[in-house]
Amino acid sequence: MSPTRILFRDELIGYARSKVIVVMWVLLPALAIAGYLLLPDRVMMERSGATKDMVSATAFMAILMSSLAGTVTALLVAVDIVSERNRKVYELFVIRPLKRDRIIWAKFFAVFTTVSLGCVVALLAGIVVDALRGHAPSGQAFIDLAQPLAMLLGTIAVSAGVGCVFGVLSRSILVAVLLILYVGQNLAIVPMLPVLFGVFPKQFWIVELTSFVLAGLLGWGAATMFRRSEF
Amino acid sequence: MALVEIENLRKVFYSQVVLAGLSFDIREGEVFGYIGPNGAGKSTTLKILAGLLTKFDGNVRVGGFDIVKDRQRVHSLIGFMPQSCGFQQWRTVESALDSLGELSGVPDDARKKRIPELLERFALLDARKKKVKDLSGGMTQKLGLIQALLHEPKLLVLDEPLEGLDPPSRNLLKEILRERRNAGTTVLFSSHILSDVQDVADRVGILHRGAIEHSGSVPELIRAFGLPLELDVELAVAPASTAFLAELGEVTQRAPLHWRIRLADDVKAPDGTDALIHRAIEKTLAGEGRIRRIGVVEPNLDDLFAQYVNRAPWVAKEVA
Repeated sequence: MSPTRILFRDELIGYARSKVIVVMWVLLPALAIAGYLLLPDRVMMERSGATKDMVSATAFMAILMSSLAGTVTALLVAVDIVSERNRKVYELFVIRPLKRDRIIWAKFFAVFTTVSLGCVVALLAGIVVDALRGHAPSGQAFIDLAQPLAMLLGTIAVSAGVGCVFGVLSRSILVAVLLILYVGQNLAIVPMLPVLFGVFPKQFWIVELTSFVLAGLLGWGAATMFRRSEF
Repeated sequence: MALVEIENLRKVFYSQVVLAGLSFDIREGEVFGYIGPNGAGKSTTLKILAGLLTKFDGNVRVGGFDIVKDRQRVHSLIGFMPQSCGFQQWRTVESALDSLGELSGVPDDARKKRIPELLERFALLDARKKKVKDLSGGMTQKLGLIQALLHEPKLLVLDEPLEGLDPPSRNLLKEILRERRNAGTTVLFSSHILSDVQDVADRVGILHRGAIEHSGSVPELIRAFGLPLELDVELAVAPASTAFLAELGEVTQRAPLHWRIRLADDVKAPDGTDALIHRAIEKTLAGEGRIRRIGVVEPNLDDLFAQYVNRAPWVAKEVA
């Protein structure tokens, strides 16, 4: 197995065992579902006038995850990089015959995969709840769901890139967290800007493409800085 | 043939010169002890050699490969143990070693054989399923050593490997280093425990102000420093007069029944020292005293290092 695959596999295992991911995969969807089921109809989206029947469990989960996933992803990977660096974990990796930047790429893809999986689990839970409440999802519902899910994956990818950059740049967890909350959050809307300012037509695929290009650039920047840094 | 060649190595941290034109070679199959005062640049040298520090001036080659241009090739030759080892906290002892071994290119079957062997040797076999975060400092140190040994590297670079180990583990490590040397592995290690360095090292380099001013075997260095022999005399009953003891050399320790006398530079063992011992015994008996113990104390690496640190300005002497 190539060093990159080994690193990716190990990072996946590491994240899958982390408490944050366990919460995101199991506890958060469970609590959200419980909250959704316990809420009386009229409370649901009172301001917009939408009732519980109008906002399906699936849509509710999508809204919840889109507001959480980006921040969680960036914080998770940044805190991980800073703390592992401070504990001198990387010294034992960079002295081995592998390309240094792969360490960061492995983290990037692992956190993207695990958080995305968490989002998919949450949406599936929403679909199951809707089905149990007698609203069996139609083929169109799945198609309608694909677009927000893809947007969510784009946001997670950008957040993973932001987390990697601030993780590599920061020497303290507090600094990394503050940078993500005050700077990183704003970076997540960058893919929307060309559409908002009318540079590009308002098309889903342009936002999506911009998201993944930006995520790739951020990941590349983080990996390059990591490769050039001293330990 | 030199396995490690360091030429005119210079490293500056925030305008502070840590290494100032450091040059030395380590021959293949040699155990090289690297000593020097705190902040002399020992860890910096070892980190450059291991590829952790990449911005420096000068040439560093391992096995003929340049550490900058052929980093990956060099890394496949080196086993490095940093001063403090960090492992991913979620891992067990076994999985940490397995993953690091795999990244070093150790095949599956070899890892399955070597990991339990090394864990058993370092008395960690029972802790193999323990999480790394639950290990004590000494156990983590041992784990750091095992990961460096796992891929049976041609060059072992160990930064303070004896620090934090209990006496049995220190002895075990010294035994392993001797075994590796006999198997042809080259070892470079830094330590402040000079008795252990003297026990294991074929050659010692003393780093001072960013450069090695002296290197050689311990006897060579002692000769080069011109460290004098000392006579240690312990009396059971003091003789009527002890003035004769002061005449043997410079008295460095004087208790009623215990004397330490630094002999003149021209007194050589064994003939010169034999004559002095004989004279001391004769005079003590003549003064109706009784000797409990008498002997010549040869200088060791501790004396040499103390002499070195106290000596300023330094007069450089290169030993072969």
